[in-house]
Amino acid sequence: MSRFLRTAGSDSSSSESESDSDEDESDMSAGGPEAKKKGRFLRSDSEDEDTDDEDVKHVVKSTKDKRVEEIEATGKVMDNALKINDWVVISAEFDKLLRLVQRQSNAAEPIPPFFLKTLSSLENSLNAALAKEKEAKKKMNAVNARALNSMKQKVKKSTKEYEKEVHQYQADPEALEREFALHSQPAEAAVVKTKKVKRAAESGSEDEDPVTDDHFTTVGKGGKAMQFTADAIFKTLKLVHDARGKKNTDRGEQMRILEKLLEVAATPYQCIRVLLALVSSRFDYNSSLTSYMPIDFWLAAEREVDQLISIVARDSAYSVQENTEDYDELLERSLDTEPDGVVRIRGSIISFVDRLDDEFTKSLQNIDPHGTEYIDRLKDEKVLYRTICRAQAFYESSQQQEPLARVIMRRLEHIYSKPDAVVNALESSLSSSEVSPSVTLASSSTTSGLVHALCIYLYKADNSLLRTRAILSHIYHHALHNDFHTARDMLLMSHLQESIHSADVTTQILYNRTVVQLGLCAFRCGLIKEAQATLQDIFTTQRVKELLAQGVHQQRFQAQLTPEQERAERARQLPFHVHINTELLEAAFLVSSMLVEIPLLASIDSEEQKRKVISKPFRRLLDFADRQVFTGPPESTRDHIMQASKALQDGEWEKCRDLIQSIKIWSLMPEVVSVKEMLAKRIQEQGLRTYLFTYAPYYTTLSLSLLSQTFSLPLRTVTSMISKMIWNEELSASLDQSTGVVVFHRIELSRPQQLAQVIADKINNMVEQNEKGLDIKLGGISGWGDRGDAKGEKRGEQTQERRGRGDRTRGGLRGGTRGRGSRFAQGLGNQMAGQSSQRAR
Amino acid sequence: MAEYDLSKTIIPYLDRHLAFPLLAHLVETSLFPVNHVQAAQYELAKGTNMVDYAVSLFEQLHPDEEIPDEFSGKRERAVSTNERLQQEAQALLDVIENPDVAQALRQDKNQNLQYLKEKYDLTLDQITALYNFGQFQYTYGNYSGAADYLYHFRVLSTDNDLNTSAHWGKLACDILTGKWETALEELNTLRDVVDSRSPSSLLASSTESASLNQLHSRTWIVHWSLFVYFNHPQGRTLLLETFLSPTYLNTIQTSCPWVLRYIATAAILSRKSAASITNASSRVRHSIREIVKVIQTEEYQYQDPITSFLKELYVEFDFEAAQRELTLAERVVADDFFLGEFREEFLDNARYLISEAYCRIHQRIDIGDLSERLNLSRDEGEKWIVNLIRETRMGAEAKIDLEKNVIEIHRSPLPVYQSVIEKTRGLAFRTQALGTGMLQPHQATQQNQSQPVEGAR
Repeated sequence: MSRFLRTAGSDSSSSESESDSDEDESDMSAGGPEAKKKGRFLRSDSEDEDTDDEDVKHVVKSTKDKRVEEIEATGKVMDNALKINDWVVISAEFDKLLRLVQRQSNAAEPIPPFFLKTLSSLENSLNAALAKEKEAKKKMNAVNARALNSMKQKVKKSTKEYEKEVHQYQADPEALEREFALHSQPAEAAVVKTKKVKRAAESGSEDEDPVTDDHFTTVGKGGKAMQFTADAIFKTLKLVHDARGKKNTDRGEQMRILEKLLEVAATPYQCIRVLLALVSSRFDYNSSLTSYMPIDFWLAAEREVDQLISIVARDSAYSVQENTEDYDELLERSLDTEPDGVVRIRGSIISFVDRLDDEFTKSLQNIDPHGTEYIDRLKDEKVLYRTICRAQAFYESSQQQEPLARVIMRRLEHIYSKPDAVVNALESSLSSSEVSPSVTLASSSTTSGLVHALCIYLYKADNSLLRTRAILSHIYHHALHNDFHTARDMLLMSHLQESIHSADVTTQILYNRTVVQLGLCAFRCGLIKEAQATLQDIFTTQRVKELLAQGVHQQRFQAQLTPEQERAERARQLPFHVHINTELLEAAFLVSSMLVEIPLLASIDSEEQKRKVISKPFRRLLDFADRQVFTGPPESTRDHIMQASKALQDGEWEKCRDLIQSIKIWSLMPEVVSVKEMLAKRIQEQGLRTYLFTYAPYYTTLSLSLLSQTFSLPLRTVTSMISKMIWNEELSASLDQSTGVVVFHRIELSRPQQLAQVIADKINNMVEQNEKGLDIKLGGISGWGDRGDAKGEKRGEQTQERRGRGDRTRGGLRGGTRGRGSRFAQGLGNQMAGQSSQRAR
Repeated sequence: MAEYDLSKTIIPYLDRHLAFPLLAHLVETSLFPVNHVQAAQYELAKGTNMVDYAVSLFEQLHPDEEIPDEFSGKRERAVSTNERLQQEAQALLDVIENPDVAQALRQDKNQNLQYLKEKYDLTLDQITALYNFGQFQYTYGNYSGAADYLYHFRVLSTDNDLNTSAHWGKLACDILTGKWETALEELNTLRDVVDSRSPSSLLASSTESASLNQLHSRTWIVHWSLFVYFNHPQGRTLLLETFLSPTYLNTIQTSCPWVLRYIATAAILSRKSAASITNASSRVRHSIREIVKVIQTEEYQYQDPITSFLKELYVEFDFEAAQRELTLAERVVADDFFLGEFREEFLDNARYLISEAYCRIHQRIDIGDLSERLNLSRDEGEKWIVNLIRETRMGAEAKIDLEKNVIEIHRSPLPVYQSVIEKTRGLAFRTQALGTGMLQPHQATQQNQSQPVEGAR
């Protein structure tokens, strides 16, 4: 470990000292291998430096010579190869030659004349070889020919590159050679000087720390030596900055250097500059896409962002902006040096906050949600939330609208899906911090008030993406708090269901979550029909987990995904603690389907009508359960519901109720007791309906009081339910008030009568299909012929109604079913993020 | 009953002058302490130029106190402003009253302007003066005069904003003077103006504020039109026609759910007329069904005895509860400014609705029980039921058995062939229409082009 670090460490220190001594020479764009090589050499030399100063010179000289020798040796090999016409070898050697020369020129040394000579001679022989090749085609084998061709390209390219030098050389080879010889002298001297400077620095610091020679102090020496003045901070900073993103840079090392720098930074300007560099280098630490940032680094980064924000917030003379005018990075700047009294520094705090939040999510995605580590990690949300709020306060005071909207969105994302207790905990940390944003839980008294205030701000923002997400979060929050009507109205008025399919994937996920939560909310409020209609869409796709970003794609539904798509999908997954429990969701959906579907099943008597299905997934499960020969005691939630459905079909509402109430998953709902009570009541009512539908053919009269006893419902409820069924013509019966019975007037249809009805229906259907077909063909929405009869009128009204808000629950949610279902189905998997979302109205 | 009074919710959507009748009505009903209402009236009058009225109110309110000086000053100012404005507008008035001019005026407003300018040297400023004068007349209560001036102004002016404003002013004047025919016309044109504004303003930069504006205008129209609809003889049907159209229904549901009370009442009131008038649109005929649906969805936002009555009757089928609500609703209707006159009619119709529903569901009905449901004594109930059976065509089905004191209803179920005929009715016609549609694709496309415009409204 230490050995590896040392190599790298001395590498950087040597390059530092080099650049220190000679600005021209410190060309940091030099390729990695070269720097390393140099480093290794320098280190070895510094080890035995103590004994012999001359050594330095000697070694230096030998490298230079070695390089020249190498070049010459390569040339020789090439000459030999030329003689036997072996272009493969020539090609390889030429590559090597080019590399060497490149290195030479990187070291700011002139190009050796030898190279130029080789180049021009190579060109000549190449032309000759090509000419020869043309004459006699069979002479060369394929490999050789290919090498020849590639050589042709390479030579052409490098001739162009060194055109000037070649010309010079051709004009006067002698002069160039002389110049080269001359130039090597000062260069050597420079190198020597470098060493000496370094020597001095090292010896200076050795006084402080003569014993240890491990890597950390080595750097410390190098760094510290320069950190004594404010000026040097910027230089070091620049060096670190330059090394950023290089292949062999040790990121941990860089962080340590910057940490040291932060300690000595004196002025706010220096602090800001160092902090900016430090935070970004922390984020750089982990370059791979899949793994997350180490938690201690994350915490450090969080502290530093805090520090940064507090510095900037304290002193309004400094401002961090993404776009600034160019300034000299190496100079200290203060208020006096700036023309308008504001020091503008390039950087972006909001992107730090964003990144911090993203890294937090990423770590949660990767940690096992069932371990204690996950819980520990979740505790960090508090600090993160505080940082976000601090940033919000800062942007509020500095009135930067765009980042403010972003930071508020981040804050909203942390609270919208949380129950009140969690929000309280998060908010309570704010009271202790010194800066607080304008909107807090304390100021808005309830969490709904807080969310409302945050959303209101975002609605006014220009960014339509943020607006969309704000309204979705707001709806989600309402739904979470069982405010079904408000949530539904907001969703419908936002018209998002029309444009959501063109939004980016994350927003679509949020939309799905919101719709699902709305369905759950309806269920909790006892609005069974609404719950069923809302949840229907997502369940028919059979990809609930994927659509909620709570599980990855299953292969069987679609063709293979590319690795990129898979990775993107993995990155989209929500962390465990914000998941909506899919089992609970399924239970809610199936139970509401049961309550809607079973009476319907009982009410139909012909095969034709049986095809009208409200809830396909439920019907499928029910059919499957029917086919089962033996049924054991229920185990899973589905088993429970299926057996309950059967019991309901048989009129055994008590058994049905017990089965439904014994489902364990209900305990995940905050209002278990009331939900169970509500379900029991619904089961009683639907049981009565099912019973009436099923057994009406076998009775002429039924006593109301008996019914009310059987279903333990009050007589009034029974009467009102039967009245409703009679009024809606679901049941052909009437009440006899004086005797307290319901009288059924069932008419048995003869076979021809039944068939006549069926055929009338079918003819109707056909005409409608024809009309639709013509509509499509003519491309109009409606009305190719002004029929003017009742039908046309009705139809017009229907279309209007669909647009209207009046028929929302049914028309709005169910009407859009098909369209939205397909929208769900088109899937998130193959749609990559980054599409601009459509403007939400 | 004060909790069901809507004056407070409605007044913010009315013009200052339109609120006077409402307050005057409140004085009569004595739902609230009289002096409170008078104080409100006084506050309202203070903001207008109706100085004398304000003074008299003040005297009523504070019999012992001196009349504040500000009134005399205000009166003088008002008089002088009136004179000034009249002078400004006089030139134009003279011209307009000239019969030659009236004949020379054409449909084209620009041409008219040109003509007036050439002949009589009238400028746009003078026309605007007419507007100001009309507005001022309105503020001190000379409504018929104001209506005249605003009408003339609208004929001449080309300024869209002022024209709309003049529309509103004219409507208010007509309402206050009680000319319901003209008010209805005015209302319809104003509605067209508001509705048609959307396509043009959609092109404007701020779509959102335009649609918001439209929503506001519609909300105002909804409230103002209550005056007209509940006074015009045909008003109730028109109200249903308008308010149940999708755009206005949306407006009501979004911004003023309390108007549901008036729709519900109108639906109940129009029961008889709807049954008798065959050419009423399906919207009116099925108004009760529609409104019940809306009441159900909006239940969380708004409910009062009238809406609950419909809900209990048609959603819950709880006749006892419906009867309870009806007793309440009767009082609410009697106290309501707009509905007060219709109390009897409302009660009558509501009873009819109850008995209709009751008869449809029951086979044998105890007369005593039904009378109780209808809040009637036994004898009255019997009379009522007999009338009911006579009026409607239930005669064949329902028979009264006085011995047992019951009504027997025998409704024979709809024969199968009847329903088959019902289903296949019009198929031939539709197919024919299909054929013509196919033959004339060109014509069809033209119709398609005109269709969206209609839809946009």
